Amino acid sequence: MTKKVLDFESKIKEKKTSVASTNKRMSWLLLTPVLIFFGLMNILPTIWMLGLSFYDYTLTSSKGATFIGVTNYMDFVKNEQLSQSVTRTFLFLLIAIIFQTLFGVLIGVLFWKNDKMPGRRFALTLFFTPMVVTPIATALFWKLILDPTFGVINYFLTSLGLSKTDFLTDTNLAFPTLIVVDTWMWTPFMALMTLAALGSVPKAELEAASVDKLPIRRQITTVIWPHAKFILMLGILLRSIDAFKTMDLTYIMTNGGPGDRTELIALSLYRFAFKSFKLGYSSAVSVFLLFVAIALTAIYLYVLNARKKAEEQS
Amino acid sequence: MYDINLKSLTKSFGELQAVNDITFSIPKSSVTVLLGPSGCGKTTLMRMIAGLDTPTSGNIFFNDTDVTRVPTKRRNLGMVFQSPVIYKGTSVKHNLELPLLSEKLSSSEIAKRVNDVADLLGISGDLNKMVEELDNGTRQKIAVGRAVARQPQIILFDEPITNIDITAKLELKRSLKEVFSRLSQTIVYVTHDQTEAMTLADQIALMQDGVITQCAPPKEIYEKPNNQFAGWFLGNPGMNFIDEEHINLSGTEITSSLFIQTIEAGAKVSKVKTLGVRAEAINVSSKQTPNSREARVIRKSLGIGGQYLLDLEYGSLKVKARVTHQVGRDVGESVWTVIDSNNIIMFDENSVAI
Repeated sequence: MTKKVLDFESKIKEKKTSVASTNKRMSWLLLTPVLIFFGLMNILPTIWMLGLSFYDYTLTSSKGATFIGVTNYMDFVKNEQLSQSVTRTFLFLLIAIIFQTLFGVLIGVLFWKNDKMPGRRFALTLFFTPMVVTPIATALFWKLILDPTFGVINYFLTSLGLSKTDFLTDTNLAFPTLIVVDTWMWTPFMALMTLAALGSVPKAELEAASVDKLPIRRQITTVIWPHAKFILMLGILLRSIDAFKTMDLTYIMTNGGPGDRTELIALSLYRFAFKSFKLGYSSAVSVFLLFVAIALTAIYLYVLNARKKAEEQS
Repeated sequence: MYDINLKSLTKSFGELQAVNDITFSIPKSSVTVLLGPSGCGKTTLMRMIAGLDTPTSGNIFFNDTDVTRVPTKRRNLGMVFQSPVIYKGTSVKHNLELPLLSEKLSSSEIAKRVNDVADLLGISGDLNKMVEELDNGTRQKIAVGRAVARQPQIILFDEPITNIDITAKLELKRSLKEVFSRLSQTIVYVTHDQTEAMTLADQIALMQDGVITQCAPPKEIYEKPNNQFAGWFLGNPGMNFIDEEHINLSGTEITSSLFIQTIEAGAKVSKVKTLGVRAEAINVSSKQTPNSREARVIRKSLGIGGQYLLDLEYGSLKVKARVTHQVGRDVGESVWTVIDSNNIIMFDENSVAI
């Protein structure tokens, strides 16, 4: 009798394991195409790039690739233009994201507070269009809007009696203008993240706060912020990673000019790789960019993890 | 203290009428429990009293003041939610203090109230702990404490025990009973759990399909349900209903295969459609006694508190009886039952007691 039961149990176990292993095999099978694609298009080129960064390899030169150790990296550190471009990129990222967060939060809160406003959906859709338009298109039409001869902004400036301004070639205005356009384009994203962040605050807690007559300041610090901070920070981080790679805006609108006033690191990299064809050198710059992106991603994952922990606690 | 007066209060969500034209008074300084099955509109009704939902039509008065359009913040009430709401990242003490800070009280008064309420709820030892460290039961106590410490005129409880795990449930219920006995506020308590309602209520307002069908003290609503729903919903098992085919009406008298006596009902007889008998109103014995009916035991189970639940069969009529002693009869054997006429309730064709 006992043996029979044992037999039966082991059979069930066998069956369970075989189902589990079939499931496992199936999931690997289904993953394979993506893994192959990912390996070929991401992992392999990255390893290739890492190797290339230790070589002197220029496509336009007749000599082949020669191993030069860390010389590319040393050149990169010593190159003042490049380090300026890195500093400029961080400055661009910082200022743009501060404004985008500020306006984004403001608009997000506005939409959140007025959730019964008529036409809210329509307004939201309209408001989020800048984010979904291709950056190239955005850059092109902003270039037209800002055009000194037939741009609409200069039309208004002159009709107000002010002098014509060429925003994109003015040494003092080009960089701020770029930030304005980037802010126009990405504020909706931060507003969306704000809406999501506010949406993550449990309704009961907000209601309890209003029953408990907590003043707005305390509602923010004790109820809203502890929940909303995670998604908002994730938004800022995502935006940072993205802003660090900004290329299309500068490429179309100013091409890094006037001088190098709007030359961001991604544009420099593009020039080294596809104008001068210095593949070894540009690989070294890419490796640097990769590490910055990895650092930002690490913070991103840390925040995600912290959020998970906080959720588990409650 | 305020009493709460509802005038033709209605709330609909699209097609659904959650609260349907309720005119009702909740007396001050007492505990009124809104009891009903899920979806009967009890929480919606409470949320309208709190100002968290706006009525589709009708008015809410606190005493004689119309508060229908007054925002929650200015209604001077406290509320405890179904899921324990705590303000994270702070201590238990700070949680209890928070609502008091905007009340313009002296710091000694605040400290006194916090300590009093912590004593009352038995969480004095936890005052300096961070709220995150605590289990749901204690968290809910903090939420109760926050509502009580501010000493509002009205305190609302929205199924505060439902989301608490079973061990902490009993203790929390005891604490609530203790708190309620000390408070002089108007308390409204929403639940779908009849035991909770029976334990805590001064009066139970029974709700069904957006309407309050009966409001009475627990004992009265249990013993004298004014409709079949009340009889069925309260009690475990609910009331036995004997429909027309097992009742004989002749003249002014009612007879049935369930009991041996004849009930003299006067002119009411013509309206009787159904009879109701509570399971414990059926006296069961193992020997034949005068004026008893014979029944066959078709199922026997052990209920809570050493009680037995018997499924009895009188010919084609089946009822449930509850006994506190061993009858000593097994399934398939006969027992004899007696029912006091006072424990038989008559319902008309609209299921209303007559």
